[in-house]
Amino acid sequence: MTTYTICVFTENTIGILNKITTIFTRRRINIDSLTVSETERKGISRFTIVIRHESREAVEKLVRQIRKIIEVLAVFGYLNDDIAYNEIAMFKISTPIGAKPLDIETINKVYKAWVVYWHLTYVIIQKTGTEEEIFEFFNYIKPHEILEFVRSGRVAVSKSPQTLVDYLPEAEWEYYM
Amino acid sequence: MEFNENQTQTTGIAEQPVSVAAPELINGSHALIQSLIIEGVKTIFGYPGGAIMPVYDAIYDYQEQIDHILVRHEQGAAHAAEGFARITGGVGICLATSGPGATNLVTGIADAIIDSTPMVCIVGQVGSHLLGTDAFQETDIMGVTIPITKWNYQITNPDEIPEIIAKAFYIAKSGRPGPVLIDITKDAQLKLMSKSFVYKKCEKLLSYRPRLSPKEEQVEAAAKLINESKRPFLFFGHGVQIAHAEKELLQFIEKTDVPAASTLLGLSSVSVDHPNYVGWLGMHGNYGTNVLTNSCDLIIAIGMRFDDRVTGDLSRYAKQAKVVHIEIDPAEIDKIKKADAPVVGDAKRALEMLLPLVNENNHAEWRAEFKKFDAIEDEKITQPELAPTTEKIKMAEVIRTLSNKTKGEAVVVADVGQHQMMTARYYQFKKANSFITSGGLGTMGYALPAAFGAKVGAPDREVVAIIGDGCFQMTIQELGTIAQSGLPVKIIILNNNFLGMVRQWQQLFHEKRYSFVELQNPDFITIAKGFGINGHTCGAREDLNDSLDKMLASDKPYLLEVLVEKEENVFPMVPTGACVADIRLE
Repeated sequence: MTTYTICVFTENTIGILNKITTIFTRRRINIDSLTVSETERKGISRFTIVIRHESREAVEKLVRQIRKIIEVLAVFGYLNDDIAYNEIAMFKISTPIGAKPLDIETINKVYKAWVVYWHLTYVIIQKTGTEEEIFEFFNYIKPHEILEFVRSGRVAVSKSPQTLVDYLPEAEWEYYM
Repeated sequence: MEFNENQTQTTGIAEQPVSVAAPELINGSHALIQSLIIEGVKTIFGYPGGAIMPVYDAIYDYQEQIDHILVRHEQGAAHAAEGFARITGGVGICLATSGPGATNLVTGIADAIIDSTPMVCIVGQVGSHLLGTDAFQETDIMGVTIPITKWNYQITNPDEIPEIIAKAFYIAKSGRPGPVLIDITKDAQLKLMSKSFVYKKCEKLLSYRPRLSPKEEQVEAAAKLINESKRPFLFFGHGVQIAHAEKELLQFIEKTDVPAASTLLGLSSVSVDHPNYVGWLGMHGNYGTNVLTNSCDLIIAIGMRFDDRVTGDLSRYAKQAKVVHIEIDPAEIDKIKKADAPVVGDAKRALEMLLPLVNENNHAEWRAEFKKFDAIEDEKITQPELAPTTEKIKMAEVIRTLSNKTKGEAVVVADVGQHQMMTARYYQFKKANSFITSGGLGTMGYALPAAFGAKVGAPDREVVAIIGDGCFQMTIQELGTIAQSGLPVKIIILNNNFLGMVRQWQQLFHEKRYSFVELQNPDFITIAKGFGINGHTCGAREDLNDSLDKMLASDKPYLLEVLVEKEENVFPMVPTGACVADIRLE
């Protein structure tokens, strides 16, 4: 199984998510993670979809089918080496009175994770990184009793110097903000 | 209750919403109909209902410009629109209400997407304030139709109508054509536009840019393979007809002297009389075309998509051959069969560009190989089918007699099943754009409404529907539509009292365990008479000629029921999962 990151640029209108995901469903491809936000261009959304698949050919066919959606401006499929990517995770860690204290220095310096909220009996720690880095930290913090854990979907940017504007030079776009 | 000072009504209580706006502002329904008129729409197939009533009220004012045809079931509207689109090369239009009206279109929409048929379906929707409340006749038709439309859109504001309708037409007919569904809430139909109606045809979209002219390097690479090939084999599909590329295809075939075979939906694009035409492909296609697929050295595929009914077992399909694939939809390239030289573009443009680059050639020897297979097929299948010794009439005789009587120039609309395959085998198409059938979806019940739609689109051509007794009962109510129109659609039922194709499979692959395939049929002629359509049942071979003559001579709709052999099978046949070269003759 290889991990593929599919970046889909679309017009930002109602129902596009449905139009995209139905293409995965029909081919019985499970989505590992999905993130959507508006891009630097006004009215243009960017979907970052992560899947695992054994066949590169099947992923290429999937990408071409997504491209057929009228509102889709461009679709790119990437291997991990092609992109800079990250996720964000939040851990709610139990810290009852009398328990072994958290080693904040290790958490900060070794794991590059930050406590973002303190409560009397728990803390919330935020960790940014790849899936592997997040799970490394997960294993480290596990003995402290994880009350809640949540991971975002992957966000990814291609290492290629080209941007969407290079693919669609005729577009007249305003910046998002 | 507050009243606007400008209100003209003085009775105290306003019974009707009163327009206080400037007179040039029109409501959404009028904007819709005016948009359709500007797009050149002259015919709508539709069925009214609650959520589309404002549009029907508007149509009332435009009856001189637009002919609305009232079908008997929305599925009939969808297939009629398909038949209309296929014969005219234009866009078929359906109009239906929300909920069941819209869902009844679904089969036709699914049929249109898989057979690349341009269609704009306009459906009513509950008022926007009711969306998502499970209101009366509310269905999420947007959600339902996402996988089966080329594009769909919901309009909740009348100001959007001109732009969205323009976009709908552009998307439906450009590139690889397909169905578009526009869902319009009732309030958007009723409300006045906030600005004057201005219509601008859509010619370009940023996010959708179908490629018409292929890249030169792709055409050059294709030409190189074609010129090097010793045993090239050309397959043409529906894309040739859609692109109106029949003339260019013929020039290409004649210059390169390649043998050419049709897919089911490609039939009639090349005349059966042409010396380079070698038959058709697929499960019930010809013997030579299937077998020699596995001994050519190059496939030149034009406007076809290697359907599994064409390829059989893909792992043993034309492994020895290189592939030139001319196709407008880039997603079709490499989808089933890997292309050595893909050419993405319109079939007509691609052939125009290819023509000067390919060498004149002579493949007489290679083409002669097909003749050997033809002789075997002729002896083992075709002749016995056409001159049977059975007491009952066989389907093939009916089709061939019809073919002779219409000189191979009628528009033939076949339904789905044995009679469809027999039509494809035995009607000798001599005129382009003459065969309409449900290919990809295999929709039983397609032919009666589609034949009607085709007759509306081409009133000067003879249109003959060929329908099985099972299929006929799926959309039988459209006899009412045909009768009301008075159009002389000719209908042939090949009645074997069986769901013949399923029965054939049960005989061949399920030890003759005939599971729910036998039909106790009504008296079709009496039913037709009830609708006001004349008809005749032909049960004897001696009566077949006269029966067909009488049907063809009728200037009104006519139903001819032919009682055929109950348990005949369609051969040749490539059974599911078999290799094309292992095609069975019995």
